[in-house]
Amino acid sequence: MRWRPGPIVCIVGIAAILPLVELVLPPAAHVSEAVRGVFLYAILALGLNIVTGYAGLLNLGIAAFMAIGAYGFAILTCEIYPFQVGFWPGILLTLPIGALAGFLLGAPTLRLRGDYLAIVTLGFGEIVQDVLKNLEVVTKGTQGINPVPAPAIGGTMWTADDEYKWYYLFLALLVVVIVAIRNLERSRLGRAWFSIREDELASRAMGIRVERIKMLAFSAAAALAAFAGGLSASVLSSTGEPSNYDFQVSILALCIVIVGGIGSIAGVLVGALVMIGLNSIVLVKATAALEALGIGGSANVLLSPNNWKYLIFGLALVLAVRLKPNGLVPPRIERRAT
Amino acid sequence: MTALSAQRITMRFGGLVAVQDVSFEVERHQIYAVIGPNGAGKTTLFNAITGIYEPTSGVVRFADRVVCAKFSSRVALRMCVATILCALSTVFAVNIQELWQLAIVDNYVYAQPFPWSEGVSDFVRAFADLFGTSGVITALAGALAGGGAAGVLWWRSRRTPDLIARSGVARTFQNIRLFNELSLVQNVLVGMDHRMRAGFWSALFRLPRFHAERKHFHAEAMELLEFVGLADRVHEAAGSLPYGFRRRLEIARALAGKPALLLLDEPAAGMNPSEIVGLMTLIRRVRDAGTTVVLIEHHMRLVMGVSDRILVLQYGRQIAEGTPAEIRANPACVEAYLGTETHG
Repeated sequence: MRWRPGPIVCIVGIAAILPLVELVLPPAAHVSEAVRGVFLYAILALGLNIVTGYAGLLNLGIAAFMAIGAYGFAILTCEIYPFQVGFWPGILLTLPIGALAGFLLGAPTLRLRGDYLAIVTLGFGEIVQDVLKNLEVVTKGTQGINPVPAPAIGGTMWTADDEYKWYYLFLALLVVVIVAIRNLERSRLGRAWFSIREDELASRAMGIRVERIKMLAFSAAAALAAFAGGLSASVLSSTGEPSNYDFQVSILALCIVIVGGIGSIAGVLVGALVMIGLNSIVLVKATAALEALGIGGSANVLLSPNNWKYLIFGLALVLAVRLKPNGLVPPRIERRAT
Repeated sequence: MTALSAQRITMRFGGLVAVQDVSFEVERHQIYAVIGPNGAGKTTLFNAITGIYEPTSGVVRFADRVVCAKFSSRVALRMCVATILCALSTVFAVNIQELWQLAIVDNYVYAQPFPWSEGVSDFVRAFADLFGTSGVITALAGALAGGGAAGVLWWRSRRTPDLIARSGVARTFQNIRLFNELSLVQNVLVGMDHRMRAGFWSALFRLPRFHAERKHFHAEAMELLEFVGLADRVHEAAGSLPYGFRRRLEIARALAGKPALLLLDEPAAGMNPSEIVGLMTLIRRVRDAGTTVVLIEHHMRLVMGVSDRILVLQYGRQIAEGTPAEIRANPACVEAYLGTETHG
């Protein structure tokens, strides 16, 4: 049979040549910086997709793990702390830090069912923000930690001007994450996750150690969220204040998964493109266009589309659930040997 | 040698006694049937045997062994580690600001190399000092939580369905419980899961071990699907199968774990006569392949046709046990199923 590229390969391929296309376009039409945000949210949502999409456990506190990753990375690398391990060790350490945080939250709570687990994760999200805000000696409270270092591939440390370096770094890391998740999805572990989502009692009766498998899902999701958090702190050169990792971020990640397709990697990528694309490309460009026409402007709340984002997220969610309940790219029944 | 022995099993839900004092033994390589009117407690008995319920009283033995995670030295070690770790980390977490101040902030001068030995010794000293004051109470609370949690976890996991499944007991469900969104092969592969050894890292990095195991178990799953007659639809979703095929798939999934004992809960429910004949052949073949079979069934022709021995339950009590011929001749059993004859 002839090899045909799947949706994931197509998306990644288009993303890889996008900056080249931009070279011939006027600066006003440049979108690569916004697409970088799409990559970041795609990593976060892919993590959420493991726990919510594969294992069927609703997690409303994924942003908390992103915050833990961002702060962990900042404390390990920032020059106001003595550790200063450097970008690469730091960003790799966010994975075990996140996994440990996931384990600590999961160990006592994963026996809760459905809604109760969702409430616990929701509360955890709020608690983490409060802890970060109040632990001033360690976290600098509401100031956030800065400067957080960037990678220094090719000599000097990158700055915000190295737009395309960041772009390809994020794309490469996203590809690594996708490959890792696919490897897990098509393995014994992935099957166990699906079986728990489909019927917990039956999978238990088949000898699946449900608690352990759920814990792995929870920790893997937390690790990826922490990884995304570390990357976001690095690109912003600051953790920002703790409320940057609030409930809205968790819900946005959940929207990405639901709109894109629960349990589908390609779906999550499309979902991230649609949701973050709407937010940071369409709305931003629309605002700029209105301002250029002299209609909008920051003074006019209604006429600056930037302010519409939660309205649009909500609308997208309602439309998705009503019209495409399985998402834009629903997961397929695996036809290959897995 | 007995494959399964149940001694005086009682299962009580509040005031309701679903199963009372039921004892029976199943010899190896037998087909054993449990019959009785609706609500007699047959499925409850199965659930008590497979660990979904904990029997109120009574003992279940598989191959003369009670399946139960004992309080071993490993469990004790785990509890000790949990106790100590929780005690230390609680003290650390509660006092993190002071510790951080003393160990790091006070020792670190911006852009100067950090004096690690001083930092570490300050940290250890401050941490030890805590135990002279409020730290003791915090540590006790943490130890209690950690040790207690480890103990509770062990207590609750002594006799779980997955432990029993792992020790070679497989079952099907009365209301078929397949993984509907998974394909047929994947359903069977889930049943094989506890025989697989390649774990998280070999899957993540696709180590040679992963590929070898995948090939082996996939081939075995295909064989098994052929055995139950589903070889031509292996990649369809289980949820799209017609009813009779679902039963077969559930049996294949149960057999996938290579059980020594297979419990079938009403395998013939909703099947037509020709499907039932096929099912009887299948059950005999499973037995001939070396698996002991216990089944709950209402369909008398199937029960009388395949069983070596039969247990009859009514209102949670056992009213008879014996060979099919004995059961057929037992007036109490006939009455339980058909009601009393009235003359008049």
